[in-house]
Amino acid sequence: MLATATNVLRIHPEKCTGCLRCELACSYMQTGTFHPAKSVIRVSPFEGHTSYAPYTCTQCAEGWCMTACPVGAITINAAGAKDVLDDTCVGCKLCTIACPYGTMFYDPDTRKAFKCNLCGGAPACAEACPTAAITYEGTATEDWLGEFARVRSARVLAGVR
Amino acid sequence: MATRHVVIGGGTAGMNAIRTIREEEAARSEITLVSAEKPYSRMVLPYYLDRSIAESHVFTATPRVLADWGVKAHLGRRVTALDAKANACTLDDGTTLEYDDCLIATGSSAVRAPVPGADGRGVHSFWTLDEARAVLAEIARGSHVVMVGAGFIAFTILNSILALGAKLTIVEMEPRILPRMIDDAGATLVEGWLAKHGVAIRTGARLATIEDAKGRKRLRFAAGGDIVCDVVIMATGIKTNLEWLKGSGVTINRGVLVDDHLRSSVPNVYAAGDIAEGRDLITGEPAVHAIEPTAQEHGRVAGANMAGKDVRYRGSLIINIVEVCHLDVASFGAWDEAKAEAASGVKPDRPAYRKLLWRGDRLTGAIILGPSSDIWTTNDVGMLKGLVQSGVSLARFKAYLKRNPFDIKPAFIASKTTSALLPETILGRPSKAPGNTPVAV
Repeated sequence: MLATATNVLRIHPEKCTGCLRCELACSYMQTGTFHPAKSVIRVSPFEGHTSYAPYTCTQCAEGWCMTACPVGAITINAAGAKDVLDDTCVGCKLCTIACPYGTMFYDPDTRKAFKCNLCGGAPACAEACPTAAITYEGTATEDWLGEFARVRSARVLAGVR
Repeated sequence: MATRHVVIGGGTAGMNAIRTIREEEAARSEITLVSAEKPYSRMVLPYYLDRSIAESHVFTATPRVLADWGVKAHLGRRVTALDAKANACTLDDGTTLEYDDCLIATGSSAVRAPVPGADGRGVHSFWTLDEARAVLAEIARGSHVVMVGAGFIAFTILNSILALGAKLTIVEMEPRILPRMIDDAGATLVEGWLAKHGVAIRTGARLATIEDAKGRKRLRFAAGGDIVCDVVIMATGIKTNLEWLKGSGVTINRGVLVDDHLRSSVPNVYAAGDIAEGRDLITGEPAVHAIEPTAQEHGRVAGANMAGKDVRYRGSLIINIVEVCHLDVASFGAWDEAKAEAASGVKPDRPAYRKLLWRGDRLTGAIILGPSSDIWTTNDVGMLKGLVQSGVSLARFKAYLKRNPFDIKPAFIASKTTSALLPETILGRPSKAPGNTPVAV
């Protein structure tokens, strides 16, 4: 699909096999190393590791990270993604506490914040996903995982009072 | 509609208001800024102190940018009096500025412990850029720095002082550190962590005097045990800069009381940031939240309303985060509500602590401590904020989280917190990137 400024990462959780290729591709694209610990898309297990789904930044309308940044180090890139400018970021972590989705990251080695920037318009995670559980589409962003996770909560909630 | 805006104070609240006026206004208005200092970000001063950024990095708007925004700036000037009846204010150089509406955003300033010698040579506050410059000029490798006060401000510069190669001692009057940011259990963990990293801490210490001692400083305490050091930093709190508003006709409580449009008791006088007393998102009561995110949100909401929009503010959420020696320490909302139902957990194998506070099945506050190298600490910091901010009903996940306070993500996702948060914006529209402010409307 042709990338436009309104494209978003759409997650189809029922198609995810938990293979973690998205995390490998993401970390390779973002840092040049195959290092899932540096990935900004995270595959979460559900129902005691019987199903999985990737979770990442929704590029929300408010951009809590962007508006919170005291030095204007988070901007909107050509793909419409909130993107951290490394040279401007001082590593104060205000964005990590302002983002209510938990999709800001901090690298203690570089002392910079980092996040999903949609790879500038060609997201590596979507390209790497073998089952099309992650697609890059011109649609409005949604809560892709909520209902999937809700129905898969029975086991973890069993016996919880 | 207002065509002449006066913004008093060039900090986060004032600059966000100016930018938002330019983003929202239908027709180009006149904006005048009065600011005692060149606009800069206080948040980044610790990074200037540890020399990881140049001084030029701290400024949020240069005179050139202000000119591009069409802002007439009176820099280095203070407003000495506001006459709300006359719609005018007077500057310390005698200038009178008339306005159609104005924004009070004069923030707060540092206060020092009232002890003899507190204003002597080698004793500093760390609040303004000038104060940061003075501290930076005095700390050398091997200096012994004593920080008086163990609150949030002190902790924001702790790493910087250590990075400069100085020896650090923290003295605190209260029985523990970070009394207004985390609870006793969290404070105990942080104290242990800092001791392990070579920071000396003396709590319950009542400072009596600060004296000169052969070119160094001697701190005497009520209970004895002098400390001799090279530099003293007084991080003993801040006070709201309200004095100049006496007789202005604007209603003042702990700060300037504002409504949900950031309007004071005088409809064409707004207030934002540290000086404003506005709605607390969690309690619904008026509160002064002297934190950066509140200043930013207040400033944008005030700016939009000054530009003729009708933007209602839901209220501000107390959020604080500080990293000390690679340990993240954060708290949210009503983390210290004594009567709230609470659950907590610690990890025996690492410095990790969580506390969750509840009203019914909604999270109203949280404390989180964990190694900054743990990705899940950072992600959970955000998700806890999202749970408190959205107030989603956690239903049976409440019981789950009380048993598993380190497993936030399944509860966050399955409770459809993302659905609750996605429609939320401060201004009722998508935010613009910082560089995208129209400069010629």
